[in-house]
Amino acid sequence: MKKAISLGVAAAMAATLLAGCGTAASSAAPSSEAASTADSTTAESTAASEAAPSEAHEINTTDPIELTISWWGGDSRHEAYQKALEAFHEKYPNITVSPTYGAWSGWEEKQSTALAADQGSDVMQVNWNWLYQYSPTGEKFVDLREYSDVIDLSQWSDTAKNACIVADSLQAVPISMTGRIFYWNMNTFKQAGIEAVPTSYDDLIAAGKAFQEKLGDDYYPLAIGQYDRMILMTFYLESKYGKAWVENNECQYTEEEVVDGLNFIKSLEDNHVIPTRPTMIAAGFDSIDKSQEWIDGKYAGIFEWDSAPSKYQSALADNSGFTVGEEIKFGDKANGGFSKVSMGMAITKSCQHPVEAAALIDFLWNGEGAAIMGSECGIPASTAGLAAAQAADAVKPLVLEANTKVLAFVDMPLDPYYESSKLKDTTDGVYTDVFDGFSYGDYDAEEAAEILLDGVSGVLSANA
Amino acid sequence: MKLSTAHKIGRFFQYFVLILVGVIMIYPLVWMVGATFKSNAEIFAGIGFLTANPTLQGYIDAVTQNYGGDISIWRAFINTYSFVIPKVIFTVISSVIAAYGFSRFKFKGRDMLFGIMISTLFLPQVVLNVPQYLMYNSFGWINSPFYLPLWVPTLFATETYFVYQLVQFMRSIPHDLDEAAAIDGCGPVKILYKIIAPMLSPSLVACGLFQFMWSCNDYMGPLLYVQTPSKYPMSIFVKLSMDADSGFNWNRILALSLISIIPQLVVFFCAQDAFIDGISAGAVKG
Repeated sequence: MKKAISLGVAAAMAATLLAGCGTAASSAAPSSEAASTADSTTAESTAASEAAPSEAHEINTTDPIELTISWWGGDSRHEAYQKALEAFHEKYPNITVSPTYGAWSGWEEKQSTALAADQGSDVMQVNWNWLYQYSPTGEKFVDLREYSDVIDLSQWSDTAKNACIVADSLQAVPISMTGRIFYWNMNTFKQAGIEAVPTSYDDLIAAGKAFQEKLGDDYYPLAIGQYDRMILMTFYLESKYGKAWVENNECQYTEEEVVDGLNFIKSLEDNHVIPTRPTMIAAGFDSIDKSQEWIDGKYAGIFEWDSAPSKYQSALADNSGFTVGEEIKFGDKANGGFSKVSMGMAITKSCQHPVEAAALIDFLWNGEGAAIMGSECGIPASTAGLAAAQAADAVKPLVLEANTKVLAFVDMPLDPYYESSKLKDTTDGVYTDVFDGFSYGDYDAEEAAEILLDGVSGVLSANA
Repeated sequence: MKLSTAHKIGRFFQYFVLILVGVIMIYPLVWMVGATFKSNAEIFAGIGFLTANPTLQGYIDAVTQNYGGDISIWRAFINTYSFVIPKVIFTVISSVIAAYGFSRFKFKGRDMLFGIMISTLFLPQVVLNVPQYLMYNSFGWINSPFYLPLWVPTLFATETYFVYQLVQFMRSIPHDLDEAAAIDGCGPVKILYKIIAPMLSPSLVACGLFQFMWSCNDYMGPLLYVQTPSKYPMSIFVKLSMDADSGFNWNRILALSLISIIPQLVVFFCAQDAFIDGISAGAVKG
C-alpha cells in the first residue's frame, strides 16, 4: 500500500516535471497585430501605384517551378491557405508551392533568423513592423511595383500601400487594414434598460449611471486595459484638437492637452463607465476575454481591433447580444483615430522566381484565392479580393461590419513607433506606467502627462 | 507515555504540512487533467477540477486534427523521437568521453580548456541562434529531412552541463580502480568502458533522462530548422493551433499536451530507480 502511494505521488511529481511540454509557454502568445517597434524612417508618401515595371514579365506556365510560402495563424487560417494553394496549383500545374506555418509564438524569431541568412520563404506573410525592423533599407524584400504587371496594385488604396513603402520601396502589399472599435454585449445593456448602442460620450456616461443603479456596482458598460486606454485617449484627443498624435516624428500635443485627455479617461472611471485598473487587476486575468466578468456579462463592452471579436464573442456564456458598436466622435475638429496594416505579404530578395511569386500573391489576394481566404487574415484590403470573398460568402459579417465602420471613420495617420514595445509593453511600458499609475492614484494628471510625453519623445528621438 | 504522545503529535504535524504542500504542488496538474474535459468558458470560470458537463471532444480533436494530411499527432510523435533518440545516445557517449578526458588525463591547457567549457554553460542559447543558423545554412542543413542541425552537434559533447556533471562524478571514483585495471592490462579505452562507465551508470541515466526531457520539450530548435510541416515534432504540433487572435479550444491543447507527455512518463518510470540513484549518489559523494 505504502509503496503504491509513494509510486503514485512520484508519478504525479514526474508528470509536473514533464508537463512543461505543451502548456507553460502558451498563454503569452501575442496577437498577430502585435508590437510595431519600427526602426527606420517613416513611409514616404509617394503615390504607390504610379511606378511602372522596368521590364515586362510573363508568368512561366511550362517549366516546373518550386516556391515556398510561410504564414502564422491558427487552425482555420492554416486550412484556408492550404485550400488556396491547392487551387493555385490547379491553375498553374507547373508551380509547386511548399508551405511552412505555425503559431505566432516564436514565429518572428524564426523568420528574422531566416531573413538574416537569406533563407526566408519566397513569399512571406509579414507583420507591418518587420518592414522597418528587418528591411529598413529595402535589403530583404522586393519592390512589388517592379511586378505591377503581374500583381494588380490598383486594387489597394494609396493609404494602404503608402504604409508599406519603406526606403522608397513597396516592400509588401497589405493583406488587411485594422483599427479599433467598440463591441457591446447588448443583453446586459437591455437589463439596464438601454436599447440602443452608445453613440456619444453622453450615452456612455448615462450607461455608466444606469448600470450602477439598476444592476449594481459590479456591472460596467465598458472594460479597457492600459493600452486600450491609450488608444481611446488618442481617439479623443485627435477628435477634439484635430491633429494627429505624432507627426514629423514629434508629438503634437502639449502637456495641458494631454492632461485633458487623461481627465477624460478619469471621467469615465468616475462615472462608472469603466472599472478602475485596481479593480481589473484584482480580478486577476490576463486578457478581458478570459475574465469571469466578461463571460458572465458584467463587463458589457470592449474597445478592440476590428479583427479580434470572435474570441470575445465565443467566450461569452450567452453571446446572443454581442454587437458591433458605432465609433464615437468625441470632439468636433475631426473624427480622430487611426487604422493600420495588420499584416502584409512580401517577396524576399532570395526568391528565385519572383514573377511566379508575384502571381501567387495576386492569386491569393486579388484573384480566386481571395474567395477561399475570405476573412481568415482579416477583411481583405484589396478591393477585388474583398469582392471575391464576399461573393463566395467567406467573410464573417461581424468582422466586415466592424472593419467597414472603422475604415469609414478614422482620419488620422498612425506613427510607426506608436506601438513600440518600450511604450506598450504590459509590464514596464510607458503606457502601462502612466495609465496604471494614474488609475491607482500614484500620479496626478499633470505628472502622468509629463511621464507620457517624456516617454513618447524618448522613443521618437531614439528612432530619429 | 507522554513522550510518545508528543511524538505522535509531532508526526501528525510533519505529515500534515507535507501533505498540504504536496497537494498544493500537484494541484495544477490535476487541474490540467480535469480541464481537458471542460469547455473554454468553464476553464476560465474557476479553479475546480471537476466539471459539470464533461466532454471528450478535446481528446477527439487532438487525435483527429491532421492539417489537410500534413501532420497528425502520430506523425509528430515519430518525428520527435527520430531525432530525440539519437540526440540522447550521442549526448551520453560524447559527454562521457569528454568528461573522461578532463578528469583522468593531464594535458597542456587542460584547466584553461575546462574553464572555457564551463563558461559556455552561461551562454544563453538565444545569442547563438543566428550564428548557428548561418553555419548550418552553409552546410545546407536547413530543413534537412534527417534533422541534422538538431542532433549532430551532440556528437561533440556540446552539452556542457552534462560534461560538467560527469566530471564531478568521475572525480569521486578512486584512481586506485583505474590503476588496478591498468596493472591487469587495461588500456585507457578499456578502463573507460569496463571500469568507469559501469560505476557511472546512474549518472549516465540521469544525463540521458534530462536530455530526453529537454529535447522533447525544445520548441525553438525545431522551429528554426524544420520548415516542412510533415516533419514537425510534437512541441511544434501542440502549438500549431494556438492563435491568440482568433481564440482556440483549450481542452484540445491540454489533451494534446497530456498525450504528448505519456511516452516521457513511461521512459521516466522505466529508468526511475537508476535515475533516483543517480541524483542521490551525486549528492552524497559530490
